[in-house]
Amino acid sequence: MKKFGINALLIVLAMVIAACGSNNANSSQEPIKVYTHNDSEEMQDLVKGLKEETGIEVDVLRMSSGEAWSRIESESPNFGAEMQWGMLHSFALKAEQNDFLESYHSPTWEDVPDNFKDPDGKWYGWSYWFNLLAINTDILESKGLDKPESWEDLLDPQYEGEIVLPDPGTSGTAFLFVSTIMQIMGEEEGWKYLEKLDQNVAQYTKSGSAPAQMVAQGEYAIGITWDQAVFDRVEEGYPVEAVFPTEGVGYDLDVIWMFKDAENQDQVKEIIDYIGSENGMEEASKHRSMVTKPGFVGTVENIDQYLIDYDAVWAAENRERVMEEWRTKFSN
Amino acid sequence: MEIGSQQRSLQTRPFLREWKRLWSEPLFAIATIILALSIIIFIVAPVFAVLLKSFGIGTGDFTVANYEKFFQTSYYINSLLNSVKAALISTAAVVLLSVVVSLYVTRSQSFVAKTYRGIALLPLVAPPFIFSLSLIILLGRNGVVTQYLNSWFGWEFSIYGFWGVVFAQIIGYFPVGYMLVESTLRTTNTSLEQASQDLGANQWKTIFNITIPLAKSGIIKAGLLVFVMALADFSNPMIIGGGLPFLASDAYLLVVGQQNIEMAAVLGVFLIVPSLLVFIFQTYFLKDTNLETISGESGGNNAPLKGTVKRVITTVTTIFIAFISLMFIMVVLGAFVKIIGINNAFTLEHFSNQTGWDSLYNSIVVSFFGALLAAGLGILQGFLFARKAIPGKKLLEFLTLFGLAVPGTVMGIGYVLIFNGPPFFLTGTVMLLVLNMAFRKIGVGLEAGISKMHQIDTSMEEASQDLGAGPYRTFWSVVLPLLTPAFVAGFVYAFMTAMVSISSVIFLVSPGTNLAATYILNLAEQARIGMASAMSFILIVIVLGCIGLLKILEKKSGVKV
Repeated sequence: MKKFGINALLIVLAMVIAACGSNNANSSQEPIKVYTHNDSEEMQDLVKGLKEETGIEVDVLRMSSGEAWSRIESESPNFGAEMQWGMLHSFALKAEQNDFLESYHSPTWEDVPDNFKDPDGKWYGWSYWFNLLAINTDILESKGLDKPESWEDLLDPQYEGEIVLPDPGTSGTAFLFVSTIMQIMGEEEGWKYLEKLDQNVAQYTKSGSAPAQMVAQGEYAIGITWDQAVFDRVEEGYPVEAVFPTEGVGYDLDVIWMFKDAENQDQVKEIIDYIGSENGMEEASKHRSMVTKPGFVGTVENIDQYLIDYDAVWAAENRERVMEEWRTKFSN
Repeated sequence: MEIGSQQRSLQTRPFLREWKRLWSEPLFAIATIILALSIIIFIVAPVFAVLLKSFGIGTGDFTVANYEKFFQTSYYINSLLNSVKAALISTAAVVLLSVVVSLYVTRSQSFVAKTYRGIALLPLVAPPFIFSLSLIILLGRNGVVTQYLNSWFGWEFSIYGFWGVVFAQIIGYFPVGYMLVESTLRTTNTSLEQASQDLGANQWKTIFNITIPLAKSGIIKAGLLVFVMALADFSNPMIIGGGLPFLASDAYLLVVGQQNIEMAAVLGVFLIVPSLLVFIFQTYFLKDTNLETISGESGGNNAPLKGTVKRVITTVTTIFIAFISLMFIMVVLGAFVKIIGINNAFTLEHFSNQTGWDSLYNSIVVSFFGALLAAGLGILQGFLFARKAIPGKKLLEFLTLFGLAVPGTVMGIGYVLIFNGPPFFLTGTVMLLVLNMAFRKIGVGLEAGISKMHQIDTSMEEASQDLGAGPYRTFWSVVLPLLTPAFVAGFVYAFMTAMVSISSVIFLVSPGTNLAATYILNLAEQARIGMASAMSFILIVIVLGCIGLLKILEKKSGVKV
């Protein structure tokens, strides 16, 4: 009979766990399912802000933007999430083209300039971000390396094995970099540049934030990454410096959207309202260099001088072709 | 993990007669059919889907273009070569270390030996890629050790790349090899060793000419298993590979980064073929080992080690065990300090991570039910297969056990292919994760069930029948209680491995059903070593806690697990 004891105990345990599971689900409404490419830490704060303000709970799955996009494409028309909170502008344009998005006109976004949102309310740009170099000043000093000032400087052989770049196949940060280079130099010159740069690249990471983190921890001297990833590390006290390459940087609008046929549309709308609200933008501005709502200053000022006239539509239209060429060139 | 089952006498009865006999007990027949169908849907179909996809079937006509592309692209060839080379080196090292550590542990009764044994098995409770993280903390370009080497000797090196992957694999897969080798060495007939020594052979000679040849089957089995596991390793190349191509991680990146499932399927086939070969070899050619020897009965006392032999073996073992411990210490330190090696101030902030805790909760639920199903169904299957005439039994058993051998990446891709559309629509559900875990581990339950059934004499059941109990009552009141220890053993093992497994479920997680191991990998990809260490630490503590709980249960109830 004792042997049955274990059986019985296991069954009871199973029931307890099952009960916990269903309790959690019933205690409030089902959490809203969200995809994001934002960093885990940033998302944690944003989600907390949302919950305090609206009481809505969300379940977040973080993926790099390229990864998220291929998931969305393969899942269509049955998306595994109800909304996207943080994604590349160019993917919003593609998603709109493919009819993946639900429109909603949110009142809190009315004062946001028209070029940051879709006229049909299918996507909203909540912040924008740009490429940036993270430089580890300790390593530069100890190895006697010059501080790079421009994209061109990165080709210098002295940086061989010291540069970390994300993989544009998975990382939106890296794709922004690649298309920025194309737009600055022209496509042909751009490929030549990338081929030379490849000689100096120590490794390609999956996530666009990883290079900043690795540089901060002293693994490599130079990381090609995005703005806030660098500023956060600087603020945390690492020997890291942000470098704006002199040729200028491309920027990308970071967007949110509701997926077509989302289950709990009312709540998703509430979330969209919150992100566009004063409180939502206030919270976002703590984590982003620039937010789109007028009257809110992000973590960096006077940014315009560094930005090139980046063409997101070109990026959206040419992504597949550019990536195919990237693969044949660098995955061989 | 314990692949390979006892070969039983071939059934010669005609198929129809078996079929009729099966239906004489309809409940068992229905159970069998449900089991068979589930195995086909959840193990066979996904693997076939990958196979078909690699030949372009499903979206187009039969084509070998994908394979041509594979062989024409140096990137893929490199990825194959890297995977094979790393797997070979890791296997050689694991086997060698397994023999050394096993010799030490089985030939010493001391407290130290018991402690070493515990530490040697410890990597089982951590996600396999944890050691990549530790290696980066220790030996990265700015690692804790690297810093000193650099300032003292001016040495500069980078652990990223091929050797990083190899080291991480050696530690991660060591317990698998070790368990098998140790149990064979433990059960070696000691009289042969004694005879050898009585005849004047020294200890080296005895070890090389008697001990190791006697343990041959265990060693070969360990080597083969570690080889396929290392070949299919997915997470270490992602973290420490430094962008070097490896088969399993490339297959994953092809799916998630490029939507190129055909090519991923081709890479998957290169993972399946070696697993299949090794599996067939183990099942049909290495018959003398089974789960019973693995769980280890202590034989007579092995001759204690002496002299130089003892010194060499003790030294190697101690260094290696110290290294494993160091890896775990790094994870614990990494979890509790701001940024290890740079800012060593104590902090708990890495633990304040709601998403992390949610994913841990999911992991426990999914692993619990997955293991419950794996052990329960597996053992039911073991009973049916051992006692009932089932047509096509051999094949079904083969397919069930093959579930253990299929590389996770392949299974994951297969599940994406099959369950992402009609008629199933299971993607994004906890159910799919549970099913995936359950059917990847169901072979564990089956092995445990079959070997237990072989120990139970049929006379017990016959007595029950003679006393008037029907077949179901007999099953419920006689057989089931006897199977409980096998169930618990299967459950514990399946639960433990499910908690830390990643390569398959990473394709299947969704918002709200993210699992701890995949979440930790994601943190590691963002290079958030502190948070990743903290979550790993909690995961390890939970798994250890569960094992401890079951050990207590085992003692209290007197059931040997």
